[in-house]
Amino acid sequence: MTTQFKILNATEFWQKENSFPAIPTFSQSLDNVLGNKGIQVGSITELLGLPGSGKTQLCLQLCASVQIPTELGGLDAEALYIDTNTNFTVNRFKEILSASMEKCGNILNTAKSNCESDHLKRLHYVNAFGLEKFCSLIFTLPQLVTERPNVRLIIIDSITFPFKDGITLKQRTGVLFRLSAVLQKISVENQIAIVITNEMSTRIGLSTGSLVGAFGDAWAHRCNKRVLLSAPKPLENERFAALVKSNNSPEAVGKFQITIEGIRDTNG
Amino acid sequence: MEKLNSTIHSALSTVLVKKLTKNCINTIADFLQEDVEKISKITKLDVVCILDIRDIIFKKYSAPSIAGTTLRTKYLTEKRYLETGIKRLDTILNGGIPIGFLTEVCGLAGSGKSQLCMQLAINSAKPSNSVIYIDTKGDFSAVRIQKILEAHGLSHKEMAIIMLNINIVQIFSMNDLISLLESIKTKKIVFDCLSLVILDSLPCLMFQHFGDNNKIGLKFLNMFVNLARCISNEFRTCFICVNIETRWVDQEQVPDLDDEDDNFGEPAYFEIKNRCLGKYWRHIPVQVLSLQRAFESETKNCININVIAENYNNPCSKLQCPISINYSGVF
Repeated sequence: MTTQFKILNATEFWQKENSFPAIPTFSQSLDNVLGNKGIQVGSITELLGLPGSGKTQLCLQLCASVQIPTELGGLDAEALYIDTNTNFTVNRFKEILSASMEKCGNILNTAKSNCESDHLKRLHYVNAFGLEKFCSLIFTLPQLVTERPNVRLIIIDSITFPFKDGITLKQRTGVLFRLSAVLQKISVENQIAIVITNEMSTRIGLSTGSLVGAFGDAWAHRCNKRVLLSAPKPLENERFAALVKSNNSPEAVGKFQITIEGIRDTNG
Repeated sequence: MEKLNSTIHSALSTVLVKKLTKNCINTIADFLQEDVEKISKITKLDVVCILDIRDIIFKKYSAPSIAGTTLRTKYLTEKRYLETGIKRLDTILNGGIPIGFLTEVCGLAGSGKSQLCMQLAINSAKPSNSVIYIDTKGDFSAVRIQKILEAHGLSHKEMAIIMLNINIVQIFSMNDLISLLESIKTKKIVFDCLSLVILDSLPCLMFQHFGDNNKIGLKFLNMFVNLARCISNEFRTCFICVNIETRWVDQEQVPDLDDEDDNFGEPAYFEIKNRCLGKYWRHIPVQVLSLQRAFESETKNCININVIAENYNNPCSKLQCPISINYSGVF
């Protein structure tokens, strides 16, 4: 069969899916919630949560985790950070990165092999403020990814911000679904993990509770996995992650904390 | 519209077809509309022969009438339902998913639509039946399929037999979907004993055309519906489309009955559920399955879902049943 369509049977698909690596979060509890030992490449994961629940921190940790050397089962790859909201601070990233790399170095029993700047180089940062900039960036992503074949993680922090103003609801849905089709395509074809952060919004009168993810019910379908982060006791530094939607793992709740070194399991 | 060609009738040679084309008679419709004598003049064939060609075209292309008794025997002898393999679901569906028609699976995000579809794919993939799973949002997971089969205690060989009969295509635009269905229809892509086509999900493609001030989305939807109906009828397959549900909240002031001053009480909120894809789509599927998550599940590690089945051939019947999802699949 020679057609433009790639038709696989489930056994071939299974082999492909099993060969997909995952990006660990440095918290075992969180990895278990996500299933597949972390954030899986080839799919879109959405992080939901109120401000301060740890969405950006988790994203920064993932940018560091993607650099874990192959000897430790990591991807040894690069990350692309699309910032729409000036959430990114390079100092904080440096902190998390060096702590993560030190941990890897300790396990491998090697002295600090590469200098920090080498590691920092493997993060590509784009600030895409405004809807036009954001959309044109996403539509040029396929090319950007072919130019930088080592990118295995794309983070969009946050997807909500470009759509705050200047677009009608209907158009917003259209644009969002078009963008996510592009994202899905590159994630499948180039084995890239895509992580999107989303904010929460309030809808009074809904039967399932009034606090829901932004963009409404239609968008809720689009991502393969949805993880809800929450910080019920922010002072105790204990965060909860609940998997609210997934295509291949059961819904579960896990715990983690945010330390100076990044995302870690809670003590005890 | 189909072009004229020499295979229609032995008298119509390629030379004659060329001659006709020169006179702006390109398609079969042009041929039928043109005056017989004029065609006779161009082709130098006699009128009887032209009339004969016309008759053959009519026979081949017109919609034939079928006698009621033939329809009845066809109805009685043909297999009309594909069993879902989920007993409670089969009962409310009157035997299974209707063959030859479109069926919709509808529900909120995370209500188990994709899980149900994957289970249906497993249950209907047998050596004599193959399944196409058209995935538009990357939700198909073969690892999940394998885990379900493993939980049922199947051997590796048995798993492979089932999994070899599930075919997955990933599609990202309405355009691709239509050309895929077209190549299935014209048998450019052939599946042995096709029994089930699953499209998960249609709105993911359709919403890409949302908010454009043109009717391109609707045009695509119409083309899709025609192709899907044609395929399901011709190949005698079930066609399942996943649709999504959205909610919106209406607020209304309800007059307080106890209060005599005609004061208005607390505002009441009404949650209204809406099947996506608009009014056109509403009457396209013959069978609609709406999934609704039950609020409390009694057992751990298990999600309970209510399924409401609505059949448009029998609008009075609206049956519902509970189904459950756990690590071993949907049951």
